[in-house]
Formats: sequence, C-alpha cells, structure tokens
Amino acid sequence: MIAAGLVMLISVAGAVVAVSVKNIVHAIFGLGIALGGLALAFLLLSTPFVAAMQVLIYIGGITIAMIFAVMLSSTGKHEPGEGARRRVLAGIVSIVFFIAMAWVVVGSDFGPLMELAPEDMESAWSVQAIGRALLNDFNVAFELLSVVLLVAIVGAISIASRHDEGEDPAINEEGGA
Amino acid sequence: MTLEAWILFALVLFCIGLYGVLARRNLIAILIGIELMLNAVSVNILAFNHFLAPDPAVGQIIVLFIIGLAAAEAAIVLSIVLTVYRQRAAIDVQDLKELKG
Repeated sequence: MIAAGLVMLISVAGAVVAVSVKNIVHAIFGLGIALGGLALAFLLLSTPFVAAMQVLIYIGGITIAMIFAVMLSSTGKHEPGEGARRRVLAGIVSIVFFIAMAWVVVGSDFGPLMELAPEDMESAWSVQAIGRALLNDFNVAFELLSVVLLVAIVGAISIASRHDEGEDPAINEEGGA
Repeated sequence: MTLEAWILFALVLFCIGLYGVLARRNLIAILIGIELMLNAVSVNILAFNHFLAPDPAVGQIIVLFIIGLAAAEAAIVLSIVLTVYRQRAAIDVQDLKELKG
C-alpha cells in the first residue's frame, strides 16, 4: 500500500516535471523518472518481465534517443515559449477530460475482483508463459510487429539522411519549397 | 491498492500527457507527452489484467506490443525532428504550415 503510493507519487512528479519545465533536457530527465516509477508500478502489478522491458527499451532506449535528438537539433537560444492562453486552454481540456473519466471510473462497477493466485504469481515471474503465448496465439501479431519495426528503422534512416543527396534537383526543390 | 486507485493513477498520467501534447510547441516535448499517454494506457491494461483477468501472459503481451510500437514511433518522430531542424533551424510546431489549406 505504502509502496504503491510512493510509486504513484514518483511517477506523477516525474510526469509533471516532464511536461512543465522549459528546458527540454530537464523535461527528458523528468520523463526518465516517470518511466522508472512506472517500471516499479509494473512490478507491483505482478508483471516483472514488462518492468524489465520498460527499463531496457524506454529508459535505456527512447530517452537516450531523445537526448541525442536534442543534441543534434536544439538551438539553445531560440526556445519557443508557450503563450499563457495556450497553456490555460490545454489545462482546461485536460481537467475536463480527467473529471469526466474519473466520474465514469468511480461510478462503474467492475464486478468481482480477483487477484492473481499465488501459483499464478509463480508463473507470472517466469517468461515461459509469455514466450509460449507469443509463439502460439499471438504469433501473427508478433511477426507483424517485427515487420513494423524493420519498416520504422528503414524509414527513420531514409528520412533522416535526406540531406546527403543534396545534389538531386528534385530534393532541392522539395527542400526549398 | 484497489483497481480504482490504479485506474485513477493511469488517468492522472494520461491527462498530464494530454496537457503536454496540447500545451507545448517543441516537437520533442510533444513526443514526451505522447510517451506519457502510452505508458498510462499500459498501466491501465496491466491493472485490469491483474485484478479482473488474472491470466499472467495476455496483458503482458499486449503491453509488450505497445512498447514495441512506441519504440518504432519514437524512431520515426525523432528522424522527422532532425529533418525539420535541418530545414529551418527550429523545431517549433507553429512554423510547420506547408500543408495548411
């Protein structure tokens, strides 16, 4: 109970830092804190394998890639400031959405709650069930996801390396438009 | 912790991410908001998986798919950020209006 409250507090604090500070590198650190807190939340929800993947892929991969993008793209001097009007409108939309959804959640009956039984807990800690399900029931989705990742890698490389072909008149025209 | 507490926690994270997407003008800050929203969805799915459908595998696999798609999406977005920066030396979304009607 205390552990769960602490984890929620860490995640929400990190998320608030991530969306509110001006400096984009500090925002990425806030995102890293929030993602670490969420990995702990996944542990509390008895999914240790997903927590490990969260640490590896999100904290170790996506935030580092974001920092690289900041290093390659940030001008440092020209940081676009948000207008107060934009922030107030965004806050109103988020708060209205929160109130509406919280009203639905609090008012709904989820039926009988079952926690994971201890013997299920044992199998949740092993990756055997996940591997078996990935290669049986979810095999098509698994293979499709690998194709999506391949296409994303090829697409990212081809989008990011356009400038190498600056001699091509079509590309120049596109860039100058 | 009850199921409602976890769902409300996910909802708070989702709304923070929504605020980030709507309020910020930096492309990378918008990507941060999107990642927060995706993680809120993952927490939601795992909470339902833990309390309502205690099959250890299925919810974890769905969340693994979300993480994989988020990685692909982040790679594409970051390459777009680099291209936009190269063309106009800024990554402010207010400047991107070539396709505006």
